[in-house]
Amino acid sequence: MGRFARTRSGIRVTVTEQEVTLLRRLGDELRHVYQVDDDPVYGRLFPSAYLDPTEEEAEREWQALVQPELLRARLASIEAMGATLDRAEERPRGQEIVLVDDEPEAWLAVLNDARLALGTRLGITEDTDYDDLDPEDPEAPAYEVYAWLTWLEGDLVETLVG
Amino acid sequence: MTAPVEAPTPVEAPVDEPVDEEKLVADRIWVVIVWNDPVNLMSYVVYVFQKLFGYSREKATRLMRQVHYEGKAVVSSGTREKAEADVSRLHAHGLWATMQQD
Repeated sequence: MGRFARTRSGIRVTVTEQEVTLLRRLGDELRHVYQVDDDPVYGRLFPSAYLDPTEEEAEREWQALVQPELLRARLASIEAMGATLDRAEERPRGQEIVLVDDEPEAWLAVLNDARLALGTRLGITEDTDYDDLDPEDPEAPAYEVYAWLTWLEGDLVETLVG
Repeated sequence: MTAPVEAPTPVEAPVDEPVDEEKLVADRIWVVIVWNDPVNLMSYVVYVFQKLFGYSREKATRLMRQVHYEGKAVVSSGTREKAEADVSRLHAHGLWATMQQD
């Protein structure tokens, strides 16, 4: 059974307390990586628009124009998700939150950025089989978080289009 | 009698407009390309194409498959300004997009 469900009042999400803590931590980590512009993760989250090196000037102008807005939107999504986590209510099934208006999109943005950041950090390829991990691997916890994000985001997308 | 031979009207030679190479290049349309990446979920990419460009589920799915299996796909085109705007919207959604002239 999925974690997201469409209800009359909005999209209901059910998470555990540990997951609430993890989601907040991922938001904090993203805030940090958005500041480190000489890192491959930053390069993945804020890629170039022009491949052609002769368009260097257009690229610079474009970056100057859109980068602050892209950053602002990303920070706003983390902020919005954090606000929804603040109103999680204890229910028999876990912590419940009803997402309304743009809140599901804010969750989607944060989950997707967290996957991109973690996937880039771990060097995920299309052949990475993260179901078959050595639990002794020091990166095993990170792969577990990645797999959890994959599942959670897939569930959210399905709920949004369903 | 022969009809008087009329002096041929001088045909105005078409003025060879100098081809402005730069203008031709500037007029070529820009295409926005989305590149395959190993992280983004297929369902998410379809969702983003539908949301940003208003494409049908079918068209968005076809483009996603092209990205996945061929490595890239042209997802939109137009002026430089439109392409820049589309690229930034795709980047805002975490897709790896670039633009170039067709």
